[in-house]
Amino acid sequence: MTIWALPIAILITTTILAFPLSRYLAWIMDGKYRAPRALRWFEDRLNSGTQDWKLYVGSMLVFNTLLFIFGFLVLALQPLMPLNGDGKGMLAPSTIFHSVVSFMTNTDLQHYSGDQHLSNFSQIFFGLSNFFLSASIGFCGLVAIIRAFRSDTHLGNFFVDMWRVVVYMFLPIAFILGIVFVQQGSPMTFESSVQVSTLERGAMGTTEKGEPKQQSVVVGPLAAFVPMKQLGTNGGGFFGMNSAHPFENPTALTNFLSCVAMMLFPFGLVLMFGRMLKRLRHSYVIFSVMMVLMIGTVIWAVYYDALQPNPGLTSHPLAQTYEVPSATAPGGKRVVPVPAVAGLPVDQHLGNLEGKEMRFGTSAGATFAALTVDVTDGAVNAEHDSLNPIAALSPMVGMWLNCIFGGKGVGMINMLLYMIIGIFVAGMMVGRTPEYLGKKIGGREAKLALIALLVHPLMILFPTGFFAATDWGLKAESNPGAHGFSQIAYQFSSASANNGSAFDGLGVTNGFANNPAPAPEAVPWDIVTGIVIIVSRFLPIIAPIAMAAYLGAKKSAPFGLGTLRDDTATFGFLLLGTVLIIGALLFLPVAALGPLAEHLGPIPFGG
Amino acid sequence: MSKSIAKSLWLLLFAVVLCCVVYPLALWAIGQSVFPFQANGSIVKGQDGAPVGSLLIAQPFTKDEYFQPRPSAASYNGAASSSSALAASNYALRNRVATTLGPIVRYKDGSNAGKLVAPDIERWFQQDRFQGNPSIVLQWADAHNSLAQAWVAADTTHAGYVTDWTKSHVSVVAQFVKANPGTPQPQPSDLAVVFFETFSRENPGKFPSAVTHTDSAGKSTTAIEPVNGGTDIQSTFFDMWRTDHADVPLQDLPGDMLTTSGSGLDPHITLQNAEYQLDRVAAKWAADTKRDAPDVRAEIGKLLNEKAFAPFNGIAGEKLINVLEVNLQLRNRYGAPS
Repeated sequence: MTIWALPIAILITTTILAFPLSRYLAWIMDGKYRAPRALRWFEDRLNSGTQDWKLYVGSMLVFNTLLFIFGFLVLALQPLMPLNGDGKGMLAPSTIFHSVVSFMTNTDLQHYSGDQHLSNFSQIFFGLSNFFLSASIGFCGLVAIIRAFRSDTHLGNFFVDMWRVVVYMFLPIAFILGIVFVQQGSPMTFESSVQVSTLERGAMGTTEKGEPKQQSVVVGPLAAFVPMKQLGTNGGGFFGMNSAHPFENPTALTNFLSCVAMMLFPFGLVLMFGRMLKRLRHSYVIFSVMMVLMIGTVIWAVYYDALQPNPGLTSHPLAQTYEVPSATAPGGKRVVPVPAVAGLPVDQHLGNLEGKEMRFGTSAGATFAALTVDVTDGAVNAEHDSLNPIAALSPMVGMWLNCIFGGKGVGMINMLLYMIIGIFVAGMMVGRTPEYLGKKIGGREAKLALIALLVHPLMILFPTGFFAATDWGLKAESNPGAHGFSQIAYQFSSASANNGSAFDGLGVTNGFANNPAPAPEAVPWDIVTGIVIIVSRFLPIIAPIAMAAYLGAKKSAPFGLGTLRDDTATFGFLLLGTVLIIGALLFLPVAALGPLAEHLGPIPFGG
Repeated sequence: MSKSIAKSLWLLLFAVVLCCVVYPLALWAIGQSVFPFQANGSIVKGQDGAPVGSLLIAQPFTKDEYFQPRPSAASYNGAASSSSALAASNYALRNRVATTLGPIVRYKDGSNAGKLVAPDIERWFQQDRFQGNPSIVLQWADAHNSLAQAWVAADTTHAGYVTDWTKSHVSVVAQFVKANPGTPQPQPSDLAVVFFETFSRENPGKFPSAVTHTDSAGKSTTAIEPVNGGTDIQSTFFDMWRTDHADVPLQDLPGDMLTTSGSGLDPHITLQNAEYQLDRVAAKWAADTKRDAPDVRAEIGKLLNEKAFAPFNGIAGEKLINVLEVNLQLRNRYGAPS
């Protein structure tokens, strides 16, 4: 029972908090809040007047370009900047490109390790600034769509919206969480590292001079960094191992709060959608569909990971041999023996503990793994590479569907696309004009929705196939067989879903520019995932805004007997079916070649 | 356009000042003034006042007087957190666990209950039969090419031993080159499998291992030699011994003792793991302090129970022990280990 207590508590707490939050969000975004004079000065400075959808999107792109330049400068100038106690150098140029793109788009896929490669200055001015701003951009995208749906005379002003999201929403909550995190044990200092002699002198080994080695403990402004990492569903770790690191996630309480923080806004945004459109019941239906999917992914991950042993250590009594084609082996065939193995004497009643931390609770690793991809956070508190093979399907499905609450605004936008397609298909099937919010969905809207929706599978399947067939992928894999393929598929899924979690064994780290031994294929990985991230971020924001603008410009049809009601359980099932059929079927072959094949064995695979 | 650029610059400026300067500085002021211990990394000091470690970061312990943390894929490097990233289907994971288990695993019941399995692994190894076929080492190298190669690469003395072997086995090397025209000048690691195959035929029941000899002048030298016992054999061949003895009941070891954590710096172990180590720890301190073993064991057991805590008071997980905290207490109570 203790297994399920944690995920249940997380889901219930966040749901309860999402209701008042959504009211607050709608109040702010509808401009009903009158800021005090001092704060209004900032809004006046930023206000460039009312914008139509083209101007709004244009401003968004201009600001993103500026953010890219700023991030690039901060990282490229790292060696010259202050707060660099350990004298960190400059990252390889391709890694800088990848990191900047990744952080600017709320993806936070990291091809570097923060503890090894970034100074505190970069962590703050590159990481933290993007945490706030990239999350706000997706948020504003959703708000623009809502206003367009409402047929507002204009979409508001992008810069004012951004400012309000950052100042009235993220900052206060992050600040409160930050105090809790520092109290619980997250460091809050601008020092880079602390040198400690170990309790048992020399346990770390001895230096060349024969003196006992010290342990170097990297510290930094964690308590400011982590709450916003979670609140903004960014997920870029201060340390290489992200929220598994004891400073980034010191206790069971911080782990609980990390989960709630990353889910809070995605939950609240769905309800805000209903409030702003004055169709709260409609958003309850959407919320329920997302919740069903989320509960499914959590149960799947927890059942197969925390309640099942690691199959690598259990008994597999059947010896097998496989023949695989090989160009170098005599006869053109290589024989791969798979010996029978007996169970090792390991007490696995806590489930698969490889890559898990102890302090969060038994089911915390698997729960976090499911939640972090559902809301496209991408922080991890356990090593996803070491999840039980079949359990790893849960995070992958979360990224493939990409609409189970999803990231700041973007998840809700994706769900809207599924909704438009679902209504369009259902309308075609019953021979009735498809309508959403009383507006007729025409060919143009359906095309825009489809473009935005199909970018995702294209951006995952093509590069995965290409990398899996060439040295770019094969030389980066760190695990054999089907799991190696899963590593490649996971990386592109994570990039395209703007998620940021990874199977960390994949060799994609280039390190510093002067690193004599980078991962052999790091540069193509940096560049291709970078491109995937950009395309999968901007097309699914811009196309839906255009679609919503076209839809909003249409005349509202009166509500009649033939109207497909969007606030009923029937509509919920229609939506669920659309998501599962379109979203999941597209990726079934990948699932079969990756996690399913690995699960079916042989385990262990090869020697 | 120019308007957008100007407004973008203002937005970036405001946001950076607020989010990257004001916000962290405010938290820094609160952290440093109200929670200075946590804000600086939860650093604890030893008896001489020097910092010995962070309560949140695992550090290694080699002496038997101390409780051991979980194994670390990061070698306990507090500046480079890392997980093993080994998939369940990767034999390297199973091999890592099996090699740890070999020397320490014990029988569960019967007349052998509580006894180490290790001596029986050596006896079984010396008979040199696995699954009814001769030559254990040969079968091991054939089934696990990468482990054979890893052995050669693990140490320069290993590679040196193989290089010496090539000089006395010119015909074997020549045959290898003929079968593998792609590698005309094979390196020691290329020859690993062939080396072990030949070695196994020439030294049945033996495995190359480091042996230290002390000559009459008191000078000790270490060299690789064929041996028929020792921890190398106990660890390397435990998995195969287990396959030959799949039905023998063995004592299960705590899972967290054998698995690496996500960060490689997990400061905790389960209470179950600590209690498993308790006999060893207590016996060692009793010997060091020349006291009665049961008394010391009771004292340390009490300490463990005092220090144990569970996530959310047990609602979310099992009881845990902070390794450094407990070891620091032991050090303060019993003095320096001998």
